[in-house]
Amino acid sequence: MALEPAASGASLTAHTLALCRAAREAGLAVTHARAIDVFRALDAIDWRRPDDYRLALRINLVSSREDEVLFDRVYRTYWGELEGACEGDYILARSEMIQGDLPAGRSNEAHREMLSETEAVGAEEVQRRANLALRWDDDAPPLEQLIGELARRLATRPSRRAKAARRGARVDLRRTVRRNVRHGLDLVELAYSKPKTRKTRIVLLSDVSGSMDAFNPFLLQLMLGLQQALKSSRTVVFSTRTTEITSLLRRRSVPETLRAVADKVRHWSGGTDIGAALAELNRGILREGSARATVLVVISDGYDNGEVARIREELAAAKRRIRTLVWINPMFGASTFTVRAAGMKAALPYVDHFLPAFNAKALHELVRGLKALR
Amino acid sequence: MNDSNKPWQHPFRRIEDVEGIFDRHDYVADRPLSLTTKLAFDLEKPVLLEGEAGVGKTEVAKVLAAVLDTPLIRLQCYEGLDAAATLYEWNYARQILEIRLAEADAARRDSLEQTIFGEQFLFARPLLQAIRHPGPRPAVLLIDEVDRADEEFEAFLLEILSDFQVTVPELGTFEAAQRPVVILTSNRTRELNDALKRRCLYLWIDYPTPDKEREIILRRVPGIEARLADRVAEVMRGLRAVDFYKRPGVAEALDWARALLGLDLKDILPETLRETAGVVLKYREDINRLDRLDLEALLEGQAVEREPGA
Repeated sequence: MALEPAASGASLTAHTLALCRAAREAGLAVTHARAIDVFRALDAIDWRRPDDYRLALRINLVSSREDEVLFDRVYRTYWGELEGACEGDYILARSEMIQGDLPAGRSNEAHREMLSETEAVGAEEVQRRANLALRWDDDAPPLEQLIGELARRLATRPSRRAKAARRGARVDLRRTVRRNVRHGLDLVELAYSKPKTRKTRIVLLSDVSGSMDAFNPFLLQLMLGLQQALKSSRTVVFSTRTTEITSLLRRRSVPETLRAVADKVRHWSGGTDIGAALAELNRGILREGSARATVLVVISDGYDNGEVARIREELAAAKRRIRTLVWINPMFGASTFTVRAAGMKAALPYVDHFLPAFNAKALHELVRGLKALR
Repeated sequence: MNDSNKPWQHPFRRIEDVEGIFDRHDYVADRPLSLTTKLAFDLEKPVLLEGEAGVGKTEVAKVLAAVLDTPLIRLQCYEGLDAAATLYEWNYARQILEIRLAEADAARRDSLEQTIFGEQFLFARPLLQAIRHPGPRPAVLLIDEVDRADEEFEAFLLEILSDFQVTVPELGTFEAAQRPVVILTSNRTRELNDALKRRCLYLWIDYPTPDKEREIILRRVPGIEARLADRVAEVMRGLRAVDFYKRPGVAEALDWARALLGLDLKDILPETLRETAGVVLKYREDINRLDRLDLEALLEGQAVEREPGA
């Protein structure tokens, strides 16, 4: 695409500002500091070369690979518009942008208009935006305390190393000697130690496919609560696609969080592909960090559209990357429950703890059950 | 080169200079990387490089240090990394020794407090080392795999990266005479703090194109024939299209090229790939996977799809 930035200084400034604005509207975090740096960068390069101009803007304005792709689209769209590019291209680029993994906080009117516009044009596979606010139950009993408890149970385990303690099972010889120096090394006081607690990382993989819709209020509460109780945990949701929403759950206000999640997760209430979700974890999150320090918690009813063999294969791989696999099945609580879902059946041999939880009461049971964990 | 306001000027006047200088150090830098490097100096901003493991992120810092002929100060991040391990620590053992010696020596005793909090009792850790680097050429500070560190550490890092000064209560404040060039790398196992990312120039480093990879192999594996380098680069592209647990990086391509050269092989056949798979693939599942792929098609450069029904 021959997109020569205009040659004169004044229009360079105008175009650059317009591009910054377009990038901000597309959801990039274009701060004033960043915009200023863009201009400083232009001083340092030959901006007449279109590629260098684009790169200089991009490296200053983006901070992830998705952002890079998004920025390049914005850039092309911007110059394409000026050159009167074919309308179809423009709409296509827009609809791609909407379908892609968008950064959070794009719930403004313009965005919605854009979305309905693309839907009207009939672009394929524009996915629905679930109204999560309707699925949030304001009257549900608060779960903070329970989830805090759950987090503690899941995320700590004794280490073989010891730390100093006022009271403890073991006498800490080194500290005892040091403390008793002033008594001329007669042992007057004893110092104790107890096992250190090791931090565990929780990876929460939550099924948000259509079959789980009935449990959404509970699910949302659990995800939010767990993420807030354990800052180091990671939350990933899946249906036919898989999206990490950890950073979105850190927001303070619940409505804002729900909006951001709904904006990002376009596949809410879709089909189910547990195997693909596990595959993605195995290639990403689970590959980092120590396997002994990771607990994978899957929340799913196990009804799956994917290949059962794949679930088995990926679970086997996942098991080598984690310490414990906890599977929370909301259907488990029902009195008529039997393991019928094929996906669930395939998964069972790999599951260390199979737990019921579909509401606050069941969660309470679960937390009590967890005393016996590991 | 030396004008009075700017005692040191970086050698990258034009983007082509970066390409040329990196080239002389056997690093094949493409346009985006060259431009980013130049701007890192011009804007004095840290660079955040993200990409899969083994695409040469760390290497950028090493080459840069070699180019500038300054020390490469490396901070390898890990979970639980804290300020003591990154900034400074007092040498307690030596301090206690000094106290013992002072007990026998009155003159020493009086000045004890000044002595034991002197610089000779201080262990400077990477961040302080980078700040204390005297210049005139900046040190290269590599903060490797920052995604492995805790989030609290990122906040701390943000503070250091904006001021480049550190206060040691007993000694006073150190301020960088010449700010180091900072390269942060991340394998993207988790998202970094927004504020930290905003401070940085960002570049995603992808797997190299076959042409570029061939060039890298020729540079880094002396004695290899152009034809074999070609083949390795092509096959690597094919392999990376497969959904392995760990896709092979440039490091693996180089190892593999060296292995093939060492085995005196001229071409890559399906048996060759199977026998030397351990050089390229590092998971048992991935190696097993090879048996289920159509290797001949893969070696001929065709895309091999996920096998049906697996």
